[in-house]
Amino acid sequence: MTTPRSVLIIDDDPDFAQAVGGLLASSGYEVMTASNGRDGLDRAKKELPDLILLDVMMTERTEGFFTLQQIRRVPALQHTPVIVVSSIYTDQSVFRVNPEAGWLPASLFLPKPVDPARLLQESARLIDELAATTSGEPRAGSVTR
Amino acid sequence: MKILKIPKTDLDLFASILPTFGELHAPVRRGRGFAFDRPALWSDVQINYPRTILPPRKLFLPPRELMFHFDPAEGYSSLLAEAATPRVLFGVHAYDIYGLNILDRVFAQGPFRDPYYVARRQHTIIIGVDVEPDEGHFARSMNADFVDSGFDLFLSDLGDHWLVLVGTSRGDDIVVMSGSLFETPSEEDFNEYKRRSTSRRAAYRTHVEMGDLPEILEMEYHSQVWEDLGARCLSCGSCSMVCPTCYCFDVADEAALGSRAGDRVRTWDSCLFKTHALVAGGENFRHSRASRIKFRFYHKQRGFVAEYGRPSCVGCGRCAASCPAGIDITTVIKMIRGQADAHGDRTTAASNPSREPVPAAPGAHLVHPTVGA
Repeated sequence: MTTPRSVLIIDDDPDFAQAVGGLLASSGYEVMTASNGRDGLDRAKKELPDLILLDVMMTERTEGFFTLQQIRRVPALQHTPVIVVSSIYTDQSVFRVNPEAGWLPASLFLPKPVDPARLLQESARLIDELAATTSGEPRAGSVTR
Repeated sequence: MKILKIPKTDLDLFASILPTFGELHAPVRRGRGFAFDRPALWSDVQINYPRTILPPRKLFLPPRELMFHFDPAEGYSSLLAEAATPRVLFGVHAYDIYGLNILDRVFAQGPFRDPYYVARRQHTIIIGVDVEPDEGHFARSMNADFVDSGFDLFLSDLGDHWLVLVGTSRGDDIVVMSGSLFETPSEEDFNEYKRRSTSRRAAYRTHVEMGDLPEILEMEYHSQVWEDLGARCLSCGSCSMVCPTCYCFDVADEAALGSRAGDRVRTWDSCLFKTHALVAGGENFRHSRASRIKFRFYHKQRGFVAEYGRPSCVGCGRCAASCPAGIDITTVIKMIRGQADAHGDRTTAASNPSREPVPAAPGAHLVHPTVGA
């Protein structure tokens, strides 16, 4: 029996977490949530999810950026796919930084409101890509702790 | 030099792209003080802080540093690559940048360069920031209250904006990466900078006269002041540990018992420690506490002037803040000048007739305190 792939949603908006969580759960994912960066990092270290959806503007408007840096500092999470899902570039018109420029150590940036079909498609793709590159090795979600 | 400005309210956005250039280190609260550390959130960063407990030196000359492994079977394996980890050091005060510039003279210039220090320096972006001086700062007296080199970006308070001096092309890369966060300052901004620069100079309340100090130190080499200080000094080395420009170190090869393989390790040392001048055969060139504290002052305020043209002190005030015996360098300088007695009370040589002038020993003027290990 295949173990369900796990997704951690780090977002302070419970409506978003519930809606996207429901979408992912109905597609067979095991969903976990955290409402701020600190809890999200703790949860990620403990659960080692297969994918992380990360908001940026939470308690602080740059919280997600700092959380992402901390996630990447954890050896077991260095290659875990992270999709940054945020409306920061529309909310902060002055912050015209292209997320594709390589400065954000995320796998993908998706603007809010998120397109459900695209989210499902990208989630499956990123998890499969990691599984392919780490085939033969324990996958992120099954590392012995 | 390119000069820009950024609204204070957008500094968090600017900071969020800094990790692209390396590990972000910034002043954060540590107990009742402040320390350069890696912030978990932007709100952890304390941009208005008086001074950190340890200066940024710890990031360039770590308190304990593994230099290489050695093994008779495999030879040496250098750990130099680890020193080349890219880092961004945010929020460094001018006097601490000055301190790094002084360390550069010792470790990064001249014929004997330290590859570990040089690698760390080359791979660390420095972003400076203004300080509001407190009673302990005397950087103005040490000409270290402003710097014009040694930083990639420097932020000066303009009220609701930071004026940003771009010091290097690397600093410019950060600006370019930051999209439209930066603005062009106006004539009014420059006038505001000049006004604040003048008031910051005036905000320094502690001053020492450095003008002819090297000459006076030559005259006072056998002064009773050193004996009095030696009686108070605990030789704990705290002043060295917190100094931005103290760089004495010890090197040891650490091998496991019964093994010929091990590590070469460099650790901080202090000329205040009794073993610092102990050599083979048991001779100790600075056996007494008085001779050790005297050596420290002469090296900083006299030896460095002879060697590099300026004292190595930058006026940060950390040594006075950390000394358990209450020894304050500004008071010591006044004591040497005859402007304060052994307890640091202000006086003058003229009003203190009991103070016998101490004649310099023959050849004392030839004694040049040597540069520490």
